[in-house]
Amino acid sequence: MKDAGPWVTAAHPSYTVLVDETHLVTRLYGMVNVPTAVWIDERGRIVRPSEVAFVDDRFKRFHGMDAAPYLAAIRNWISEGERSAFVLGEAELRDRLAPRNPDHVLADAEFALGEYLYKTGHGPAAIPHFKEAQRLNPESWNYKRQAWALSDAKRDYGTSFDEEVAKLNGKPYYAPRQLRPERQDDQKNR
Amino acid sequence: MIQKSLRIASLLLACAPVVQGADEARRTVLWGEVATEVDPAPDASSDLWVTTADLTRATGFALKPQGVCREELCVPIPKARKAEFLSGRSKVARFNLSAFARLLEQPVAFDATVRVWYFGPRPDQQGAVLASLQAPDFTLPDVEGKKHSLADFRGKKVLLVTWASW
Repeated sequence: MKDAGPWVTAAHPSYTVLVDETHLVTRLYGMVNVPTAVWIDERGRIVRPSEVAFVDDRFKRFHGMDAAPYLAAIRNWISEGERSAFVLGEAELRDRLAPRNPDHVLADAEFALGEYLYKTGHGPAAIPHFKEAQRLNPESWNYKRQAWALSDAKRDYGTSFDEEVAKLNGKPYYAPRQLRPERQDDQKNR
Repeated sequence: MIQKSLRIASLLLACAPVVQGADEARRTVLWGEVATEVDPAPDASSDLWVTTADLTRATGFALKPQGVCREELCVPIPKARKAEFLSGRSKVARFNLSAFARLLEQPVAFDATVRVWYFGPRPDQQGAVLASLQAPDFTLPDVEGKKHSLADFRGKKVLLVTWASW
């Protein structure tokens, strides 16, 4: 809040900006990085689950993805609604939302406990729980970066963001995004 | 314009403020994202034994003749395993919340130093999205502290975007 609050206030956004101090939405939607987006229709149903969501090219040198196709897909959804080619059918949604790995569910619990400990003045006690969450769900950059941001990453975790990115050794930092549905004859989410 | 027909809820994953002065003797239950202080158990078990009053206060579950119940859900306690869940050794009857979480297959994280237990969602709650494809609701504050729920945006498309201040 103290870091982002002044920027949010100064920007006068036309949309609603919320603050999630405990990573509740990360847990509810199985998110592992930012920016991540979910498309939700007028009835409150998911039509595209969590996926990388750059809406401009400012970090393109890092991740190599064009924002334009994603923005075009959003605009298509707005104008076409459930007829949009980018709205996923039920079978593909269920494929993409596959049941969560039990280790990742436990990682969520460890991370939530760590967040609570930090918030209540027990920063050092939080660190082993953040480490356990990172061990159980190594794909979650949210769990790495949030923990590192709350203390001295080098001292407490023996690493840094740059070192961890270097360890990817060419593997993509973001899970690849599949904009077009893979299942062509799928029933739309109705 | 995108904004004309689309509500965008943008989330910031922010660092939480630190509050000092915690009481080391207390026991805290985090259940359904809500923290409740409970009476310390007389022994040092890593399982969390709570009074029946604290069980209801912290979780909404209550002991009934048919089992441990909350709203429509009633979980019978197997007779042969009663001692695993209920203790009458002290003056106040206690219930083993950790054993109950194992029975319900909830994920549990525990900190022995600060004595805090976090209980996560049951498998049926975790699977609710897959079953219904309904976006899980949540309520969070904006930068001025005003709370908003995802359900407030029903009737509009929502692009739920998360960012962080790392």
